[in-house]
Amino acid sequence: MTHPILSISNLNTSFRVGGEWRNVVHDVSFDIGAKETVAVVGESGSGKSVTAMSIMRLLSPGNSRVTGRIDFEGRNLLDLPLDEMQSIRGNRIGMIFQEPMTSLNPVLKIGQQITEVLVHHRGMSNAQAEAEAVRLLEKVRIPSAKSRLNEYPMNFSGGMRQRVVIAIALACDPKLLIADEPTTALDVTIQAQILELIKALQEEEGMSVLFITHDMGVVAEISDRTVVMYRGDAVETGTTREIFSGAKHPYTRALLSAVPQLGSMTGLDRPLRFPEVDMATGDIQPPEPTVDTVRRDAAPILKVNDLVTRFDIKKGFLRKTVGRIHAVEGVSLQLRQGETLSLVGESGCGKSTTGRSIIRLTDAKSGTIEIDGKNVLGAGKSQLADIRREAQMIFQDPFESLNPRIRIGNAIAEPIVTHGLADAAEAKERVAELLERVGLSASMADRFPHEFSGGQRQRVCIARALALEPKLIIADESVSALDVSVKAQVINLMLDLQEKYGLGYLFISHDMAVVERISHRVAVMYLGEIVEIGSRQAVFENPQHDYTKRLMAAVPIADPSRRQTRRISNDEIKSPFRPADYVPPKRSYQQAGEGHFFQVA
Amino acid sequence: MSQDTNAANSLHVGSTNDQARRSRSPARQMLSALLHDKLALVGILLVLVFILAAVLAPLIAPQNPYDLSQLDILDGRLAPGSQSTNGMVYLIGTDDQGRDLLSAILYGLRTSILVGISSAAIALVIGASLGLVSAYAGGRLDSFLMRVVDIQLSFPAILIALIFLAVLGQGVDKIILALIVTQWAYYARTIRGSALVERKRAYVDAARSMALPDRRILFRHILPNCLPPLIVVATMRVAYAIMLEATLSFLGIGLPVTEPSLGLLISNGFEYLLSGDYWISFFPGLVLLLLIVGINLIGDSLRDILNPRREG
Repeated sequence: MTHPILSISNLNTSFRVGGEWRNVVHDVSFDIGAKETVAVVGESGSGKSVTAMSIMRLLSPGNSRVTGRIDFEGRNLLDLPLDEMQSIRGNRIGMIFQEPMTSLNPVLKIGQQITEVLVHHRGMSNAQAEAEAVRLLEKVRIPSAKSRLNEYPMNFSGGMRQRVVIAIALACDPKLLIADEPTTALDVTIQAQILELIKALQEEEGMSVLFITHDMGVVAEISDRTVVMYRGDAVETGTTREIFSGAKHPYTRALLSAVPQLGSMTGLDRPLRFPEVDMATGDIQPPEPTVDTVRRDAAPILKVNDLVTRFDIKKGFLRKTVGRIHAVEGVSLQLRQGETLSLVGESGCGKSTTGRSIIRLTDAKSGTIEIDGKNVLGAGKSQLADIRREAQMIFQDPFESLNPRIRIGNAIAEPIVTHGLADAAEAKERVAELLERVGLSASMADRFPHEFSGGQRQRVCIARALALEPKLIIADESVSALDVSVKAQVINLMLDLQEKYGLGYLFISHDMAVVERISHRVAVMYLGEIVEIGSRQAVFENPQHDYTKRLMAAVPIADPSRRQTRRISNDEIKSPFRPADYVPPKRSYQQAGEGHFFQVA
Repeated sequence: MSQDTNAANSLHVGSTNDQARRSRSPARQMLSALLHDKLALVGILLVLVFILAAVLAPLIAPQNPYDLSQLDILDGRLAPGSQSTNGMVYLIGTDDQGRDLLSAILYGLRTSILVGISSAAIALVIGASLGLVSAYAGGRLDSFLMRVVDIQLSFPAILIALIFLAVLGQGVDKIILALIVTQWAYYARTIRGSALVERKRAYVDAARSMALPDRRILFRHILPNCLPPLIVVATMRVAYAIMLEATLSFLGIGLPVTEPSLGLLISNGFEYLLSGDYWISFFPGLVLLLLIVGINLIGDSLRDILNPRREG
């Protein structure tokens, strides 16, 4: 390697927690060469973001202590006085953050926010700055850049905002760009666009990039070299190819085996568990194959026909309806016992609303829903209570979906007791049994939700959903908020439970790789409609609809040898908002194989 | 940070910390945090002393100010430390009717604290129930209740209480009623705000999807999570109610002269202030001040403890 741009040696960062110093980054050393992309990857709590903040010296000096050396352009950043550091930040090192919503000031126009940097740091006149701002926006591929200077951040979509943030970071020609999870909050097609953009800009500008992420797929896609962090230690450093093909550290191997890879299921027709890995030794146990759980002989547990859910947008004093969000439009699907049907799509495609409409957490406008032969939309209060026992929901955020003031034992027992399934003593036994079933111990029943980790909490939610012995579970992004290794464990648990109880899952997710692993059948949703539905094998191996193809192409693949050189269209995700007099067109479907249908325009 | 370490631990699901233990409930955590705050401790001690004094008044007061046979009009306006003809020492003097001021204050505390706490508690129950229902039901009921609250809050509390008492007349029960009427709206508004936020959270969806009855969701799931701001408001409101009662009594429309409350005692002494008999107003005023400061210290500390954005 040539002379490195940034060289970190023996970086230690500690935080003061209640009077004690706790070391969160431990002896981390790595270099970033010129025009090189280095990814720092790790799960939450691994210290990857703290490393980035330490480099920028953005941690509050009172509560944190940073030691070691950070050499940038021949100077140790840790020794610089604050005003010199200030001139390096934003000038020589640019930074972009995870949340494009909050890193732009909502009350200032986009143009102002860019020119401000130019006038301050580069001493341009206002006219010069404006011309430069247009150039920068064009550089980050924002169409009709000049006219958008006078717009506010709220007029930009998430992906466009992230482009603006990148434009601001580039304003001063930095030598190094630090990107802290820049694509995590974005949809997968938008993520692909931003990754592509960062790669292109890096070549054009000749800068180095420090890319912080939790996503092995993104790492494989973008980085030349990779640093794997685990609990504050850099456990492995090497070229991305080396790491992916022959990781040495057990943790890296465990992490990689837990990463779902799109395309890894080719040829299989049933879901597959993730291999179990011993985090200490790195030994990988091959996954036990799943048995065929689908009950093809029985009637479907869930039948949805022509479901429509719309939200009125009202304005003005008289609350006139000015438009509607067509969240779900003519959705029909069926789910058998023991089967997993996944609803995939990007944000705003109506997948969650579909799930919520099915158990009437959101009111549907029309259509029919049958759960175990019972009509849901026409059900009265007591019938609805019966139906809800058959169908349970698991939500995305396990912390949010547990009442923080109720001990988890009581939370699980509550539905059992209120539905009169058991008295308090029996319910207690049942709770113990359920907790053991989801891999927790019965003695944890006395704890409050905040005493559990994210993965454990999701297990609690699963136990609670099982309390009423449902036949159908609607899992709304249930593993999306979890770290990869935990995600793999929870998915394995869900597959175990399916085998044991013959549960039907309606698995709602944006993550194609996870969906490929867990489902029997897949429905792809776009703007409230199902554009393609069929067996998992058919949809993934032989996608028919354009949107399905686009979605698959955008998924980052955790294998650097399969890095694609693809051109991704700059389309934004469209909004399902329509004027009040909009009449949805009649859709027709074409068959591509047994049970495999796609929408034709 | 704790979130992060939790997640890191999750790599070893259920492997450690399996020993059975019953963790502390939020209420107990709150109490222990309160006892660790020195200022709050001062407040708690002050309030406890006053409550004890009020409860034990008949036992510890040298004189029963309601019992006219024990009073001697000739002892009127004696300075602190004076001795009566019957040998009794008036530690902090007497008022114009010859009542021992210390006894009058002890009995007055009874009235003030009773009025303050009971009116705040009843107003809390009424206001909180209406606010919860309003938030959960939404729609027309919500609009109607909140407009009533708006109207109520747009009048100064003292004005409403004045009108009310002018119509009803004097008496402890009437003043409690007046204070409830002036205060329920604060609780309703506070709890509705937090209930609206809580109602949209996923655990409420989860409860609904388990088909729990509305009543249960409302009172067992939503209400406990709305309590923190309500507790803070309630503490402050108790202090406010005591002050309002004192003000009304001072203005002469709260309680009859025969039933001393702190406000009434201050008012009694007011006319003699300029003639140098400061103690008749001063000591009841001091007690009122300390009581209010004590309650507010607790309230301030609770507000810090219950603030979700608090560090650590």
